[in-house]
Amino acid sequence: MLRVIGLKLVRLVPVLFLVSLATFFLIDLIPGDPAVNMLGADATREEYEAVNKLLGLDKPITDRYVDWLSNAVVGDLGHSLRLPNEPVSDLLQRSVGPTLRLSAMALGMAFVIAIFLGVWSAQAAGTRVDRLVSGTMFGFISVPTFLAGLLFIFFFVFRESIPRWLWLIGVGLIVLRLAYLAISRLAEDSADVSGWLGYAIATFVVAGLLFWVFVQWPDFPRTASHRYDDNWREQIRSLFLPALALALSEIAVFTRLLRADMLSTLQEQFVLSSRAKGMPVWRILFRDALRPSSFSLITVAGITLGRLIGGTVIIETIFGLEGLGKLIVGTGVIPKNYTIVQGGVLVLAVGYVLLNAIIDISYQYLDPRIRRGRV
Amino acid sequence: MSDPAVGTIAQGEPEVRARSAEPRSIWLWPLLPIGIAAIFVGTMVLNDVTAEIRVTLVLAGIVGGYFGLDALCQRRWGSGFDTSAWLSGFWLTLVGLSAITVAWLPLPESRLVKNALTETPRLRPDLFSEHPLGTNIQALDMLGGVMWGARTSLIISLGAVAIGLLIGGVIGITAGYFRGPLDSGVGILADSMLAFPPLILLVAMATVFTQNQWTMALELSLLGIPTYIRLARANTLTFAQREFVLAAKAMGSGDRRVIFRELMPNVALPMVSYAFLVTAVLIVAEASLSFLGVGIQPPEPTWGNMIEAGQESYQDHPHLVFVPGIVMFMTVFALNRVGDKARERWDPREAQL
Repeated sequence: MLRVIGLKLVRLVPVLFLVSLATFFLIDLIPGDPAVNMLGADATREEYEAVNKLLGLDKPITDRYVDWLSNAVVGDLGHSLRLPNEPVSDLLQRSVGPTLRLSAMALGMAFVIAIFLGVWSAQAAGTRVDRLVSGTMFGFISVPTFLAGLLFIFFFVFRESIPRWLWLIGVGLIVLRLAYLAISRLAEDSADVSGWLGYAIATFVVAGLLFWVFVQWPDFPRTASHRYDDNWREQIRSLFLPALALALSEIAVFTRLLRADMLSTLQEQFVLSSRAKGMPVWRILFRDALRPSSFSLITVAGITLGRLIGGTVIIETIFGLEGLGKLIVGTGVIPKNYTIVQGGVLVLAVGYVLLNAIIDISYQYLDPRIRRGRV
Repeated sequence: MSDPAVGTIAQGEPEVRARSAEPRSIWLWPLLPIGIAAIFVGTMVLNDVTAEIRVTLVLAGIVGGYFGLDALCQRRWGSGFDTSAWLSGFWLTLVGLSAITVAWLPLPESRLVKNALTETPRLRPDLFSEHPLGTNIQALDMLGGVMWGARTSLIISLGAVAIGLLIGGVIGITAGYFRGPLDSGVGILADSMLAFPPLILLVAMATVFTQNQWTMALELSLLGIPTYIRLARANTLTFAQREFVLAAKAMGSGDRRVIFRELMPNVALPMVSYAFLVTAVLIVAEASLSFLGVGIQPPEPTWGNMIEAGQESYQDHPHLVFVPGIVMFMTVFALNRVGDKARERWDPREAQL
């Protein structure tokens, strides 16, 4: 076990080395003089020299890399090339919070929705519900994140009455269906209480939820504020749309994956024995079958983090959230502020590599089959 | 239960098939003429009604028409007919044709503002007018813009896929064939290329290069290369153990001949079948860059920068975002749909399940 973890950690070293190398030499790929590129052709000689000095371009290339790496390891990523020349690490520190909160919420939403949809469509495999869910998921995968963000703003902020009425109609249909089931069961055999009582309760619960959400319809803000003094309810409300836009494609990926794994788990003997014992369906699905079906979901969640991080760049730009992505694009790439790009990219790439390593290792603990297979 | 995954899927398949054989509703075919009628009424007859009602009518018409068409096709070609995949193929053909022919079509000006000074800006879409999909803030034609955008998107993403296929394929096959230290070296290289979150890598490179179609194709190919390396390597591993490779070696073929004449033709097909899915990802990536303002720059229309330009006033003129948005969505959707089919059919690892 320890040997496996050790090997994985050793494998990280060359990857991290190459990542640092690529990030650092980004600047040397710039055709021409970076200082001229950044300041334009009509700056004073002093300004050019100041930028060159900040970038350390007056020293030989190997010295520069060693200096930069040894500084980066202790958290000094240089200074912003534009006034007021703040340290890059300060800027990064300030913007990490919103990005983390946004991606955590998106991932959480994706998991909750995908588990519900995946389990449901696996249980109903081959039926119309299953086909509808699969088709919708195909659509979700094909919506680019920035389009999703703009669509949500349009429908939930600019034309908020449309989703509100759609909600009423859509959930209303589900309520009618549940009520129909309850009544038909009741008419069939009113003595068999367990046959209709569940549907009757579900009808009232869903109907209550329907009207509560319809009446309490939140008005989502156009821009997501991230003030720290806001209470959690405000934060969730302002992050809801960006997180949902970000979660859209993850929901689709997770649902398809979980559905496939769930389908094969449901064929297992222990599920059959559970069914034979007369366990209720929800118990079989969520207590017995979900855990053994969720391993590849967890791995893929790690892989999709890269896309999620890329998505935050776009979503932060659309929703005006002062996060890491907006820092890199808005204050880094567009004004050609190279040190910020360098620092930001390094932090994201290293974080992504480490997170994937952690997931990889925790996977060894979660799934005993893998553990035996490798050691 | 030696290998749980393989065993259960093999068991699970017949049961699932049996349930999905539940007949789809063939009697729905009258929805096709009704749907077409709804679209016709929504786009042409009701000119004075509010946009919401017209859009709802057209959407309902499209959905209903689809179910009708699906029923009709199943009636004609049997229940195995995949209507949405055929429609996707049709749409892709349309996009491809418009990308090729747009330069010769007599469309209103969609690129240079100085030629569109006499036109009305922000015209609403109206089929059968001079501007079927409306005009943008600068009075440029949206239909032409979308078609030029298709051209740019396809050149960039197909170029990137071709570069990725070539470089990634060669590296992957070589690594998978020779194994050993070369293989682990390539593995580390691919790992570190995948270590950068894709969009971040592209954005970082946008600081370095001046963006035009060719540099963007090169940058995007960097996203495809590690994926293709892994794919080619995995496929090579399965083929390298097959008898025909052994036979070739026994007859005295050298490494180069085995790679180019025996392995390459076999590995190529599954890799090309992934090209649709990779193209879809790259189109989205290209549009995202243009949207962020670090891709192809405005006088040249792309789907991404059209949406970016439209988002400032799309509260009152939704078509500025929705027209390029819907075209892009449909293209990506169609690529995913066709790609899924192609992979099912041509990827041997998929076919074994």
